[in-house]
Amino acid sequence: MTSIAEAVANGVLPGRVWLYSNYRCNLACTYCLTESAPGVPNRALTVEDMVGIATEAAQLGFTDLGVTGGEPFLAATMPDTLARLSDVLPVVVLTNATLFVGPRLEPMRALAGRPIAVQTSLDSPEPEANDEYRGPDNFAKVVAAIPRLVELGIRVRIATTVEPGRLDEDAHARLCSLHRSLGVPDEDHLVRPVIRRGRATDSGMGQDFAPEQLPAELTVTADGAFWSPFGPTVRGGRLDTDLLITRTTRPLATAAGALLRLVQGRPPGTDATLAIR
Amino acid sequence: MAKVELLDADQAPLLARPNYRGGDPGPLVAALAQVPELLEVAIPFLNMVLGPSSIPARTKELVILRTSARLGCRFCVQTHTVVALDAGLSTDEVRALRDEAPIDPAFASPAERDLLAWVDGVAGPGDAGRTDPPAALADHEVVELTMLVGATMMLNRFCTALALPTSVGHLKRLAAEGLV
Repeated sequence: MTSIAEAVANGVLPGRVWLYSNYRCNLACTYCLTESAPGVPNRALTVEDMVGIATEAAQLGFTDLGVTGGEPFLAATMPDTLARLSDVLPVVVLTNATLFVGPRLEPMRALAGRPIAVQTSLDSPEPEANDEYRGPDNFAKVVAAIPRLVELGIRVRIATTVEPGRLDEDAHARLCSLHRSLGVPDEDHLVRPVIRRGRATDSGMGQDFAPEQLPAELTVTADGAFWSPFGPTVRGGRLDTDLLITRTTRPLATAAGALLRLVQGRPPGTDATLAIR
Repeated sequence: MAKVELLDADQAPLLARPNYRGGDPGPLVAALAQVPELLEVAIPFLNMVLGPSSIPARTKELVILRTSARLGCRFCVQTHTVVALDAGLSTDEVRALRDEAPIDPAFASPAERDLLAWVDGVAGPGDAGRTDPPAALADHEVVELTMLVGATMMLNRFCTALALPTSVGHLKRLAAEGLV
């Protein structure tokens, strides 16, 4: 058993490794951590890098993968990539779900029956409130897409990202009625706060946090490996490096070992004898 | 202006943060912080090679400043001029090490003149580095000082290529000593 596997098994390290597939997005949400939008530098991981990192992650003892962006499904190859990733480890992929129409929907059929969950965002039971965050017609597109995915046999999760106090009890109840009606059970609905990073900072949104409040989920991007998927944020076009762990992402053991040392507060070099460098 | 962003404390990566605890860590650390996994091994290495050891600080600064002058590294020459003065070198000795005055009149000690001739060979181009080390040095001292020349040359190239800025404090000190 590797030291990473042991740390994951003992709850010292979270089991999931996140992959930022890209930074570009067809939306420009007000609270986006990464200032993603059409036309921003894409900074994409290659398919081979993603599959290679997933393979290394499994060998090290990580248990799950997360794929996020940007909008991962801007890459037409993403369904096939996810299928390959899910051959290695279970995957959750975050998407705005606005692209699953016409010819973009059919390739999603390949994900049915695989250990893959598609997680999308729905921030309010009311279109106006949701679209204020996420752009015009977003609510309608997402509400239309979810049943299509469910019908294909794909597990769908919904994340609701809210400002404190914005989703009152009644609104929460209406939102839950809505997601149930779309075929998403309660256990696949999560509510989370806006984090004050990236565009949320400029929008005056979100809550501050200390790094130690974030789970130490190893997060790999084209720019390096980070402490958490909330780490590789962008503000004013500049990548934040305060939660950067290493620029080296392959071998993944370099970044994973550094993360474990940070989590355990161990001095540099002590992992060398544990064969995780 | 430096050729890369020098990371300030707010953007210091996790592995680099210990280097910022005492305040501004200086441009070398702030540049290396861009690659934290390099920083965390490079700084202990450099501290060991350039910092206190069995070889006297004066000797080490002779080697560092002379090497930096040979390599033409503005940042290292200016920074280590201050360190050399703090180590007890005179302004005349510093000027000689910086190639602004002849070596022999500034250094009365034959052993130090021998050392500097060897440094010129090791830091010089081509096979000049085959110069025999000073006979007065033990093998372990030759090894350590050879590593010191080499590490200094690496830093010379790094700091010159990235155009690292000399700190305001050092520039003031150099101006006060007439050594800008």
